[in-house]
Amino acid sequence: MTTVLSLDHVSKSIGKKRIIDDLSLSVQEGEVFGLLGPNGAGKTTTIRMMVGLMRLGAGDIVICGDSVKDNFERAIKHVGAIVENPEMYQHLTGYQNLVQYSRMYKGITKQKIDEIVELVKLKKNIDQKVKTYSLGMRQRLGLAQCLLHDPKLLILDEPTNGLDPAGIREIRDHLKYLTREKKLSVIVSSHLLSEMEMMCDRIAIIQQGKLIDVQTIADQQLEEKSTYYFETSDLGKKLLQLREKWMIALKGEGFIIDAEKEEVAKLIKELTEADISIYLVQKLTKTLEERFLEITGS
Amino acid sequence: MFNLIRNEWEKILKKKSTFVMIGLLILAIIALSGILKYVDNNDESTGDEWQADIQQQIETDRENMEEYGGRQLGTYYQRNLAINEYRLEHEISPSVESNVWTLVDEAKMLTSFIGLFTIVVAAGIVAGEFSTGTIKLLLIRPMSRTKILLSKYLTVILFSLLLLAIVYGLSSIIGVILYGFPPDDAVHLAYQNGEVVERSQGLQLIITYLLYSIDILMLTTMAFMISAVFRNSSLAIGLSMFLLFVGNTVANLLAMQFDWAKYLLFLNTDLTVYFDGMPTIEGMTLTFSIIMLTLYFLIFHALAFFFFKRRDVAA
Repeated sequence: MTTVLSLDHVSKSIGKKRIIDDLSLSVQEGEVFGLLGPNGAGKTTTIRMMVGLMRLGAGDIVICGDSVKDNFERAIKHVGAIVENPEMYQHLTGYQNLVQYSRMYKGITKQKIDEIVELVKLKKNIDQKVKTYSLGMRQRLGLAQCLLHDPKLLILDEPTNGLDPAGIREIRDHLKYLTREKKLSVIVSSHLLSEMEMMCDRIAIIQQGKLIDVQTIADQQLEEKSTYYFETSDLGKKLLQLREKWMIALKGEGFIIDAEKEEVAKLIKELTEADISIYLVQKLTKTLEERFLEITGS
Repeated sequence: MFNLIRNEWEKILKKKSTFVMIGLLILAIIALSGILKYVDNNDESTGDEWQADIQQQIETDRENMEEYGGRQLGTYYQRNLAINEYRLEHEISPSVESNVWTLVDEAKMLTSFIGLFTIVVAAGIVAGEFSTGTIKLLLIRPMSRTKILLSKYLTVILFSLLLLAIVYGLSSIIGVILYGFPPDDAVHLAYQNGEVVERSQGLQLIITYLLYSIDILMLTTMAFMISAVFRNSSLAIGLSMFLLFVGNTVANLLAMQFDWAKYLLFLNTDLTVYFDGMPTIEGMTLTFSIIMLTLYFLIFHALAFFFFKRRDVAA
């Protein structure tokens, strides 16, 4: 695995206020990396420093081996980005906008532009002026704009902001395609937990400019014990026995239990033999939201 | 760099306001030609006895000079006398009949329109990108900020040259249609360093146009600087236009009282005085003015580039 982006003890102050405090993290090839945090935690500032819109206070950011501080033009060549809303020139057509950006790189052909337009499904509207576009279309044009030069790293600040569920789904599918097929790395920021959970491989939780924790989403499946909810008919006399053997806790129309996979199968057998009906067995995964709240302590 | 300028050029030319500006300019040229033609038809030509007329003019000028010949009027009469005497000596009749150059010469007053339009473009070209947020997608490209700002400035200059070319070209074309080609002996007599020199009128007018546009260049540069430093196009437009219209008058008023006024930008923008006429404050020379202009120019750009390069884009 090669490291595509690394932040090395990055800090930034505006006035006397420290907005980013000693932030270090790295993103690997083909990974979707999330920056999660409440509003004002410093996600956008971090992203702006990555793409050179803001100067670094201290530390360094390295993209594909090139430092943003010392070698900005080389470093930024590897990056395609949308910072907040993808604001384009309203009085130009979608296509003219893309041509504008393509002129700032070497060797982007007309075919390449057409190919990208096809990819983001904007072919029908590409010759209309951007001011006639819906938010979803603008978002797709924004995505097209950052894919023109075959970047190695996509940086998307709140890419699903203001989109309807269909639009969010679409962006998610695009990202999946790009990371799987094109081996792109992606950084997304959001304050929406559920969404990050669905998109990202790893998530960094940021609060008040500090890195609190980095969570791997796939972790959940590897945990040995999980929590299960059983909905059953009246347990009657069996209850006492179960309590002793399995440490269950009553809840709703049934009970909750911490157990391994095999144990669950045994328990079901036991209950059936005791002539208790089982209506539902459900695995309760701890949601990211619960973890997030646990970690940030709010 | 070429591509960046092409981008900026495209962004300007695709705007509706640009078409309105160019349209207004063309209308103004047509209106001006119409008015001149109308006035010209009502004007009675003085005819063949131009030598006697000039002789008479010389005499009145002499009397006036003795009577009112102060610091400024004196040089004015001196200039008139010198030119008129030169006419008699070399038998060059003042062309009383209008020709194509008359129109082109009159059209030079449209340069203040050009100034106005160029200031609007210069004020918007940086600040506008900040207010629409498009600056973000522009600055995350493998191009240094210096190059981006420079391409914007050069585009503004190109735009003003386009407008100048429209005025000069269109007024020449209309002039030829209305008056036909100019007579061969039509020369411009200029008074330079106390001597009278002959110049071809077409060339003289190109020089005049370029000299007039120094005003525009400086104010445009200032508007551009304000636009880049404060990211506020209204401030840039307001301040620059205010100076465009009253700057000269105020500077001239100050010049009557104070000697330090010669360091003001506006007393140095009109270089025509060094080619044909006399400077506002005695002792000012072409070199002095050029140095002052260069200084102002460099300061404006130093400010613009310094702030644009360092700025954190947070909006």
